[in-house]
Amino acid sequence: MSVRYALLALLSEGPKYGLQLRQEFEARTGEVWPLNVGQVYTTLQRLERDGLVESEDDAEEGPQKGFHLTPEGHAELTDWLRTPPDLSSPPRDELVIKVMVAVRMPGADVHEVIQVHRRYLIELMQQWTRLKEDEAEFDLGFALVVDAELFRLDALVRWLDAADGRIKRAASEPPRPESFPMPKLRRRIGARP
Amino acid sequence: MITKLDRPPAQALPADGGLPARRAVVRWAWRLFRREWRQQLLILALIALAVAATIIGSAVATNTPQPANFGFGTAQDLATFQGSSPSLASQIASLQQRFGRSEVIENQTFTIPGSINSYQLRAENPQGPFSQPMLSLVSGNFPTGPGQVAVTSGVASDFNLKIGDLWHQGGTVRRVVGIVENPQSLLDEFALVAPGQVKAPSQVSVLFDAPGVSPHSIGPGVLTPQSVAGNALNPETISIAGLVLGMLLIALVSIGGFTVLAQRRLRSLGMLEALGATDKNVGLVVRANGGVVGLVGAVVGAVVGLVVWLAYRPSLEQSAHHMIGMFALPWLVIVLAMVLAVVATYFAASRPARSIARIPIVAALSGRPAPPRQIHRSAIPGIVCFVVAFLLLGYAGAGSGARPRTPELALGIVALVPGVILLSPFCLSVMARLGQRAPIAIRLPLRDLARYRARSGSALAAISLGILIAVIISLVSAARYSNVLDYAGPNLASNQINLYTPNGPYGQENLGPTQSGPSSASQLIRMRKTADAIAASLGSHDVVELETTSASLNHNAPGRNWSGPIYVATPQLLRSFGIKASEVDPNADILTMRPGLSGTSEMQLTYDSGGGVSAGPGQGPGRGTSASCTAKNGCFPNPVIEEVGALPSGTSAPNTVITEHAVHALGLQATIAGWLIESPSPPTAAQITNARQTATTANLTIETKNSAPSSSQIIDWATVFGIGLALGILAMSVGLIRSETAGDLRILAATGASSRTRRTLTAVTAGALGLLGAVLGTVAGYIGVIGYIRSNAENGGIAALGAVPVGNLLLILVGMPLIAAAVGWLLAGRQPSAMTHQLLE
Amino acid sequence: MSMLELRKISKVYGQGASEVQALHEIDLWVDPGSLVAVMGASGSGKSTLLTIAGSLEAPTSGEVVVGGALLSEMSRNDQARMRRRSIGYVFQDYNLLAGLTSVENVSLPLELDGVSAKKARAAGMAALDELGLADRASHYPDELSGGERQRVSIARAVVGDRQLLLADEPSGALDSTNGEAVMRMILGACKRGVAAVVVTHDAQLASWAERVVFLRDGRVVDQTMSPPSPESLLQPAPHS
Repeated sequence: MSVRYALLALLSEGPKYGLQLRQEFEARTGEVWPLNVGQVYTTLQRLERDGLVESEDDAEEGPQKGFHLTPEGHAELTDWLRTPPDLSSPPRDELVIKVMVAVRMPGADVHEVIQVHRRYLIELMQQWTRLKEDEAEFDLGFALVVDAELFRLDALVRWLDAADGRIKRAASEPPRPESFPMPKLRRRIGARP
Repeated sequence: MITKLDRPPAQALPADGGLPARRAVVRWAWRLFRREWRQQLLILALIALAVAATIIGSAVATNTPQPANFGFGTAQDLATFQGSSPSLASQIASLQQRFGRSEVIENQTFTIPGSINSYQLRAENPQGPFSQPMLSLVSGNFPTGPGQVAVTSGVASDFNLKIGDLWHQGGTVRRVVGIVENPQSLLDEFALVAPGQVKAPSQVSVLFDAPGVSPHSIGPGVLTPQSVAGNALNPETISIAGLVLGMLLIALVSIGGFTVLAQRRLRSLGMLEALGATDKNVGLVVRANGGVVGLVGAVVGAVVGLVVWLAYRPSLEQSAHHMIGMFALPWLVIVLAMVLAVVATYFAASRPARSIARIPIVAALSGRPAPPRQIHRSAIPGIVCFVVAFLLLGYAGAGSGARPRTPELALGIVALVPGVILLSPFCLSVMARLGQRAPIAIRLPLRDLARYRARSGSALAAISLGILIAVIISLVSAARYSNVLDYAGPNLASNQINLYTPNGPYGQENLGPTQSGPSSASQLIRMRKTADAIAASLGSHDVVELETTSASLNHNAPGRNWSGPIYVATPQLLRSFGIKASEVDPNADILTMRPGLSGTSEMQLTYDSGGGVSAGPGQGPGRGTSASCTAKNGCFPNPVIEEVGALPSGTSAPNTVITEHAVHALGLQATIAGWLIESPSPPTAAQITNARQTATTANLTIETKNSAPSSSQIIDWATVFGIGLALGILAMSVGLIRSETAGDLRILAATGASSRTRRTLTAVTAGALGLLGAVLGTVAGYIGVIGYIRSNAENGGIAALGAVPVGNLLLILVGMPLIAAAVGWLLAGRQPSAMTHQLLE
Repeated sequence: MSMLELRKISKVYGQGASEVQALHEIDLWVDPGSLVAVMGASGSGKSTLLTIAGSLEAPTSGEVVVGGALLSEMSRNDQARMRRRSIGYVFQDYNLLAGLTSVENVSLPLELDGVSAKKARAAGMAALDELGLADRASHYPDELSGGERQRVSIARAVVGDRQLLLADEPSGALDSTNGEAVMRMILGACKRGVAAVVVTHDAQLASWAERVVFLRDGRVVDQTMSPPSPESLLQPAPHS
């Protein structure tokens, strides 16, 4: 998520001053969204230039200047909400690469490698789950974030489980000639920054 | 530890949870029964039916004969004296002195004018100490003074009397004050007067109690109810025997039902064990379910039985001719039936209970039944049982009528039952092995039958037992009826009536000894006219004169002897049965329709040779050696016997006749014994009554067809019974057995098997079970009957089995399995809905 | 003292050629108040481990100690009593007894132990009440939703003074919300001192445990270290 859409989102709740935007931005993102706070003002100027937000003309530049969302800004935000993130190409995942290397490296115990990662992932999940234990101090946004993280880690654990099983089965079958049908895929893994 | 529980220390609680645990488990079983009783409807209905049938059957059987205390009231002893005895008063006085409380009933017999019936003028105290069960008031009052009388409704209608009328009777005028009856016998017609009002009693009865004193030691004419009855084979005994057999069959059938039910609850039972129930608790769930089914079935059956009984009681009173108390029921039998129902189902559930408790908890929890156990593979225990039964029955068969070996007979028959039960699983595995090369639709059900022997084995045993009973009855009755000497069967055809003169075979018994002796010519003419008149009243002109001689047949060898009358083959007699004189061998001495008689050796004709031994009809002179059989002592060895099929077959009909040739040769005198009337159609009850009354006036006795069944009737009934039972059991078991393999069926359907395959599976299961049951039951039946007959000289030994009821056996061995298979085929078409329902559970 | 102690547990199924070694010298300790998760792929022997720990099955070798008592030295009836008094099970498919109401299901272990029906019922009601199911007490299992059924079965597993809770995929058939609720209940029981073992292949479920044991082909291959405090997660990381 970029600073641009974060600011649009904050303004969708109502007109806000520049300082207020900066403080709220910090408060809401500091914990889970690693965004650069310094970009807030430059981004606001760019938004105003694009006609997505409007400032109160009479006020001076600075923290006391008020901003509100234009209809175009609102449309931009709504559009963004419905635009799916780019999930079509696989991300370059270190974990996947490590496991693939381990498979081909002579003398490496792939299962042991997988288990080390699995344990690490589970330990991470245990920490996230610990956060959920006390439900009373749990706000909705935070809960959603924790769940998202847990499901992401869970997906990795599942992938490890599946890889574990697949490698085990492959080991018990006779090795097939070198004809991996995945050159395209390999290229695309490296394609995204 | 959500809750802190105030619970006694561990030592205080029993290790198995004690009563609270059992109560909780039984409560659960009861709830399960309430939820799933429909699945056990079949067993419930069977038990209810058995109990209801037992109640009604035993109630009718015990209440139909006259009550045991008939004539005794509540007294234990009854002394009867002739009214004319001069010492009457002193004899009564001595009885009263010796035994205290007593009651005197005086009877004077009067004939009803213009009728052969009679009634009694009876002096009896309505408040007497013993006689109250013998007297009850229908309307009006009991007579209290010399001028009063109460009559039965029969007497009232005979004399056209009603309450308030004056009745001139025996020279006395009395006012009718009431209508009375004897509840113990509605046929007892009498006029009741106050004690002391019978002037010239013909018979005096004294009722008294003499506990512990033998009736013979008191004097002649003293009886007790026990000395009158005293038959061990009373209706209650028979009811109990039938009940035990029925419950055994039900128990065998329900084993399968309870096993399926327990399998269905396997996961719950596993959970119960995981919760800490002991093996005993788990078994108790299944057993309690069995007991509950038995109890509910017994209660329902008892209620149904009682309701039917109460509805049927009035008509039974009419036909039995005595009043029957509303609750005059054989309570012992009823209680026994209910207890047996519970016991039978409890034990039927015990077997699955044991096997369920043995399944590992983990397997139970995952709903995996334990693999079927390989049990009772060996045929040896079953064969041993059969050998024991064979030997026991052989020993019993060697007994004679005088020294019956009843315990051995019963034990031998009982030994056949475990033999059948033990051999059933073995037969199933043999069958499965035979079917190994058959197509899948046949191989699979056969293998399933063998694999799930716990279920199919008990069903097979039940079918076999039903067939066993049918086969034994058929073979024994065929053997008994095929005995040409002691001929058994119906006495006459339904359109035949025999009239006997006092000289006839039954005449002398019916009339007093003073009236016996040869009838005079004029008497004979009168009788002949009466016979013609009776024939005319029945629309018949076919009156055959039956002549008898002193000759009779004798079988000079061990075994049964001759029975039945031998009439003379007069030309008229032969003609009336369509036999031409030319068809008869002129040298024949005896003509008979009894098949096989002509081939019987060691036959003798015995007769009254004038001065020697007298041989009355039907009574052999005893068994001498053939050397002593000479004309001198009235014996004619090896008469020429010719079989003539046209002679009638009734035991009282001329089925065997002596030819005029023999009568002349032996110099016998023929006398008229009676007449045989053949009417165009069977006479009605009213015609028979009319004929009987007419006959009585001329000193004739009458014989009509009795209710004795013919051999083929007995065999047919037995066959129908056996097949019906077997099909019923099949109907109940096949569904259960196939439901076990419903999973297989689903897989088969998924792999593309058509409904035709499903039908074949069910048809093969039913047909194979039916066939095995028929074969096993027939073999067991033959083993038993051969064992008995082989050594039983009285019934002619093993040769008596020559008469094989082929048609009936074919029906059992071929017809029944085919019907079972066909019904299975037809019904299997609409099975899946029930199956999927069960799988969803 | 550990509530549950498995010492060198091995389990072999079948014989000869069809022999399968389900468990291989497993050691496991569970202390009172702790929640241990056992993770592994299907066929790794994790369910067998649970049934052996709960005396539903006997190990081929090794020793099971529950609350200080050696299971192998007990008769079948004593093991049954141990299950009634000390061990509670929760299964994936609830395994409530049809024909008994919720409260009767919950109080059944007590009744099986010889507690009078009235007292057992009171205890069962209290247990249901704690899990917020008091209004479902007289419902039959088929009148309850999946989540409610599993809650009833948890109440049944902890009713009385039972100190060991064994759960086999307790939320396997439930959606994630209900699954989380189930785990919270188990955790709640642990906070009262109950020792719990949850067997699962679900990482999210396992992450509720304070210790996760990894099972692979019948062997313990790994277990999680004592995790750092969750606060470490909340430090903003330089990452996009």
